Amino acid sequence: MTEPTSPNVTAGGRVQLARPKEPYIPPREWIRDNLFSTPFNSILTVLFTALVFVMTRGMLGFIFGHDRRWEAPATNLRFLMTQAYPDEQYIRVWFTFGWILALAGLSLAAWNAAPRVGYRNLARKAASVGVAVALIGLVAPAMSTSGRLQYVLIGAIPMAAGIIALKILDNHDTRDMSAFVVQVLVVAGIILSLWTVPYGQHTFVDGAARVDSGTVAQSTKLPLTIMLLVIIAAFYVGRTIRPHFKQLKAVLGGIWLLSPFILTTLVLRDPAFDSGHLLSTDIPIGLAFALGGGAILWLLSSAKAGETGRIAAAIILVLAFASFLTPMRMIVRIDALMLAGAALSSATFAGSREARLRFVGGWMGAIVIVNWLVTATNTPSTVFGLPTGTFYGGGLTLTLIITSFTLIFAFPLGVTMALARTSKMPIFRVMSTAYIETIRGIPLITVFIFFAIMLPLLLPDGMEVAKIPAIVIGYVLFSSAYLAENVRGGLQSIGRGQHEAAEALGLTTAQKTLMITLPQALRVSIPPLVGQAIGTFKESSLVLIVGLFDLLFIARNVIPNTSGFLGAQREPLMVASFIYWAGSYSMSKASQRVERKLGLGER
Amino acid sequence: MTDTVKQHRDLSNAKDMIVCQGVNKWYGDFQALSDITATVKETEVVVVLGPSGSGKSTWIRCVNRLEHHQSGNIIVDGVELTNDVRNIEKIRSEVGMVFQQFNLFPHLTVLDNITLAPKWVRKLPKAEAEEKAMELLEIVGIPEQADKYPGQMSGGQQQRVAIARALAMEPRIMLFDEPTSALDPEMIKEVLDVMKGLARSGMTMMVVTHEMGFAREVADRIIFMEDGEIVEVGTPEHFFTDPEEDRTKLFLSQIL
Amino acid sequence: MTASQTEHPATTRPPLWRDAVVVKWVAQVFTLVVVVGVLIFLVTQAKTSLNDNGIRTGFDFIKTNPGFQLAEGIDTSPATGGRALYVGMVNMFRITFVGIIFATMLGVLVGLGRLSGNWMVEKVSTVFVETIRNVPLLVQIIFYDAVITQLAPVEFGVGPISGWFMVTQKGVSMPRIFAADGFYQWAVVVLVGAVVARFVYRHEVDRRDETGQDTKPGFKAMGTIVAFGLLGLLIHPLFGFLGPIFGGIARVIGAIPPGAVQLALIALAATAVVIWIRRFWASFDGPSGRAKLTDDDWFRIVFAGIGGLLVAAVVVLWPGLSAWIVHSTHDFFRFLETKFEFGNWSRPLDGMRPGVIKPDRFTSFSPNGLTMSRAFAAVFLGVVLYTASFIAEIIRGGILAVPKGQLEAADAVGLTKGQKLRHIVLPQAFRVILPPMGNQYLNLAKNTTLAIAVGYSDLVQVGQTLYNQSGRTIEVMAIWMLFYLSVSLGLSSIVNFWNVRLKLVER
Ligand SMILES: Nc1ncnc2c1ncn2[C@@H]1O[C@H](COP(=O)(O)OP(=O)(O)OP(=O)(O)O)[C@@H](O)[C@H]1O
Ligand SMILES: [Mg+2]
Repeated sequence: MTEPTSPNVTAGGRVQLARPKEPYIPPREWIRDNLFSTPFNSILTVLFTALVFVMTRGMLGFIFGHDRRWEAPATNLRFLMTQAYPDEQYIRVWFTFGWILALAGLSLAAWNAAPRVGYRNLARKAASVGVAVALIGLVAPAMSTSGRLQYVLIGAIPMAAGIIALKILDNHDTRDMSAFVVQVLVVAGIILSLWTVPYGQHTFVDGAARVDSGTVAQSTKLPLTIMLLVIIAAFYVGRTIRPHFKQLKAVLGGIWLLSPFILTTLVLRDPAFDSGHLLSTDIPIGLAFALGGGAILWLLSSAKAGETGRIAAAIILVLAFASFLTPMRMIVRIDALMLAGAALSSATFAGSREARLRFVGGWMGAIVIVNWLVTATNTPSTVFGLPTGTFYGGGLTLTLIITSFTLIFAFPLGVTMALARTSKMPIFRVMSTAYIETIRGIPLITVFIFFAIMLPLLLPDGMEVAKIPAIVIGYVLFSSAYLAENVRGGLQSIGRGQHEAAEALGLTTAQKTLMITLPQALRVSIPPLVGQAIGTFKESSLVLIVGLFDLLFIARNVIPNTSGFLGAQREPLMVASFIYWAGSYSMSKASQRVERKLGLGER
Repeated sequence: MTDTVKQHRDLSNAKDMIVCQGVNKWYGDFQALSDITATVKETEVVVVLGPSGSGKSTWIRCVNRLEHHQSGNIIVDGVELTNDVRNIEKIRSEVGMVFQQFNLFPHLTVLDNITLAPKWVRKLPKAEAEEKAMELLEIVGIPEQADKYPGQMSGGQQQRVAIARALAMEPRIMLFDEPTSALDPEMIKEVLDVMKGLARSGMTMMVVTHEMGFAREVADRIIFMEDGEIVEVGTPEHFFTDPEEDRTKLFLSQIL
Repeated sequence: MTASQTEHPATTRPPLWRDAVVVKWVAQVFTLVVVVGVLIFLVTQAKTSLNDNGIRTGFDFIKTNPGFQLAEGIDTSPATGGRALYVGMVNMFRITFVGIIFATMLGVLVGLGRLSGNWMVEKVSTVFVETIRNVPLLVQIIFYDAVITQLAPVEFGVGPISGWFMVTQKGVSMPRIFAADGFYQWAVVVLVGAVVARFVYRHEVDRRDETGQDTKPGFKAMGTIVAFGLLGLLIHPLFGFLGPIFGGIARVIGAIPPGAVQLALIALAATAVVIWIRRFWASFDGPSGRAKLTDDDWFRIVFAGIGGLLVAAVVVLWPGLSAWIVHSTHDFFRFLETKFEFGNWSRPLDGMRPGVIKPDRFTSFSPNGLTMSRAFAAVFLGVVLYTASFIAEIIRGGILAVPKGQLEAADAVGLTKGQKLRHIVLPQAFRVILPPMGNQYLNLAKNTTLAIAVGYSDLVQVGQTLYNQSGRTIEVMAIWMLFYLSVSLGLSSIVNFWNVRLKLVER
């Protein structure tokens, strides 16, 4: 039902939440109300404070223990991030990182996504960080007096700053600033410390770890400094062009989508293209499909194509499937399948002349990109002297690669499954239900083991798949079942009226789905989908069990076995835990913010 | 409410736009329509009346095949409604429908709501579709709302957008299923005014409504239904002053 | 206005390629054919690959000696591969069962803690949840394992509470209380007590509704059970007579020829099919005659037919099934018979003696107190903490989902805080909480498979060792699939059962 336009609804149909004014409560009252309101509460407070004290002390005792070997992760940080990526090519890794940061900066600006923090809040945070740092010095067991003093002194600075700021600021001060600026300032401070504070240079020379005094290595601090500048620059570029560039968000979305492919196949494993082969086979095949397919699609998307067009598309589909029965280049089969898909959807996207031109143009672009990437994947790498098609590189990079590819491919598959499960067509419904429920009934680890061991056996002769792609295929199939359930929830929340209105307007089922139901369903499903993305990131650690060198594997099995760090397992594991934690936690916080912004999840 | 009754027009020579012959429909065991036979002529405005649950919505939804009838024939503008994909496509773009709950697409702006189908079904270029949409918004009286989202508008405005959306497909027939029932009284008039204008412009219309004033003023014919059957058909004059069937009299006595 | 005035134009049938129904079915059947074709292709491909690589297939490894020992379980040197897998399954259930109990308790506490008005409690709970659920479970399990491995080596009487509670390199150990022989007789008494308690509860509820005074039905029901439990300590030998009865049943069942069971199963299946068909047809009969079958209905008939045929084929072609049913039922009753040995008759009070055994050295999984091996402890800690952090969020969400108006209404009618919680908040929150809670239990059950990373002998770990030894990968994987699918199905049907019951109450 409708309600009269209310003032806090802004353009875009989004509800802007006014920052609630917090009433000022004096500390004494606050402590009484929140800690000692009843005798029972007082007991709880005492008990929990003791618990926190014991836990923190234990934790700090572990971190600062004399026999801790933090130099294990410190020396092997590069290993944790990228495994044994060749030193002389390391610029590629930094380029990849910079690319991602640049995109992130542009996107933050384009979506205007950075939250804002109030001055008072900021001051309070600074003060509590200071208190925490000072407490480390006070509470930690087994620390030298000078060490304690250092912590207390360092903590005193933000503490004092925060408290003074709180005193100066009015109790109802409402000024705020972008959290992005705050974060950049904090990171800048940390990077500055890399140049000034003697953390020590950790190196691994001739099979032995060495710690030299001085600041960290040039090869660490210089690129990191550049990275900081990159994200700042990107953010301000994004801010500047946002008003003039209407399609900025769409373009960025496309680049994000393509980035994993470009970065892994082209940047990180730099294919050594063979120009002879390119000219004789790859380019002709690509051109044939781009132009020939384009012509076919131009005809099929004509308004007059009608059922003849649909029958032609069906024939192309059958031919594409038939191509798997005869020996043929894989790329031809892939192109043929893509053509069949495009032909089937041509009735959906057909429109005026401009729409048809856009459709055919999109086809050509897609063919060029796909053929390029497939060729690149099948070309030996200049970085790794390894067999065709394999990607070699591990650590956090591999974790992120597995996660992003899984998400990208699981999304369309999961949406398709959700549509099939909610469709009126019984066979589709039964097939997708069986698929989803079976997958959801079995543990991920068995799926990984199956795909690591069995997939090579299932493939026809002459087709090979390396372990990482095999695992990713399994992960895609697994995640799509869960994704389908999340999307199904969204699809079911869409009323019958929407379907009827779309049908009454004459939209075809495909058009209705793409333009009416899916956009609404996906918006409703954002929170569970983000939750699932986090899950996918976390559970990618299971590839350890089938022996892929992901972040966890290196932390657990590789570093503790290098000479010099034998048995040092807990330290790298803690670093890995922290990386996973930081990734998941920031993603879930970001999604909560998006949720609030979209006004979802409010009752 | 005005008591003007529309003058009787002779439409016997006009073209048949909707022909229903012996239409039956069941939901499981329950017969929602039984042996519906009626014809709507070109430019004719037919108002369908009847108590709740009498099958008015079911019938009107069968006419653009949102529901499938199980026996009998429905012929719309010379095209029979069967499982033929081509016929269904044709009918859908020739018959516009306005719903009780508006059913605007909440994720699209008003302009996108209106231009969506012309662009993708009629295959009009974007500029042309938008130009047309603005004209229609002008006609329904809310050109300034083009960039708003449905959730930001009043019910009456939304329903007028829904009418504009249906008209953007240049339909030859408009179906209305209780277009004013979900509206507050002060908004009903603005929607009815748009509908009256439409009727005057010569659109063929089939309207389910409980607005007796509208029926009197605009309808060429009134069809009274009960329990899935057509009970009585007549001009408004005849219908309101001198109904034949007892069931009609009972209904009128309850509603007037 | 009757139909006879105008001629009916003949209904034109559209050509096949334009008929919406035909197109719809062709698309579905085509997809089905492609999917089935791809699956068949993959299976044949797998077969040839296996043949080419000289890998034998077959389930014979279930019956032969697996040639390895298990780290822990009810049988650490299993005689056959099947037995080894069985031990793995039991291990999986052990950890799942205790895991669910502890995760629920901890999760509820933390969830309530997050809603606490006490700042300290709220913060500690929040930090717990935000830390634990954002670190992958596998990382946690491995980390706990690494921590335990680096603890003090085993010695007699190490801490924290020497001789009573020991945490060492090899695991955690504490005393345990065990039930001796008469336990099963005693359990029967308690069971009777539970039935009586139910009547007591009903009666007291009725009395409360009539008289309006608080008769404390829950309290009295609990009292009844406790009373029967105490009574059972004295009179449980009375139930010794059940032993021979179970023995008799076992012998009768043992005498049934498997063929007869097979026939009975077939008859049962046939009856079920007939009943289903009759119901199905009956649902189409209405007062206005028989409704037309839609294409969906036809699909249902075909699908049910194929399903029925498959079940029938399994029953007919696999005599082992009925033999297994006969044997396992027989064994079950034999087991009960031994547990109800008549001999305890003369020694009241002696059968049910709770004994305390203190922890001992971690030699093996034996009654040396309650021991948790290193691997078990790591997996257990991992799944309990991880699941608890999710359960806490569910509990919190469920309680917050109770509309404010409800609480205000409760205040208005003057309910106390406890009554509000018991009668208003919990029943409503429970409805919201139950389905996701069921999901968490399912996740926990599936997550126990991560045990493989630290070498706890669950089904997956045992299976992996087994196929490494025998090369029967596909078979082992099939067993995994079947096992976990049935566990999921079982757990989710339990949850669904409660869900449906709650929904019924709601009306
Ligand atoms: N999808 C359906 N399944 C079963 N029965 C239905 C369905 N749709 C409608 N009906 C039944 O068909 C009958 C006619 O419904 P219909 O909506 O056409 O009535 P109506 O005349 O439009 O009533 P109202 O004035 O309340 O809108 C009602 O008894 C209704 O219960
Ligand atoms: Mg109706």
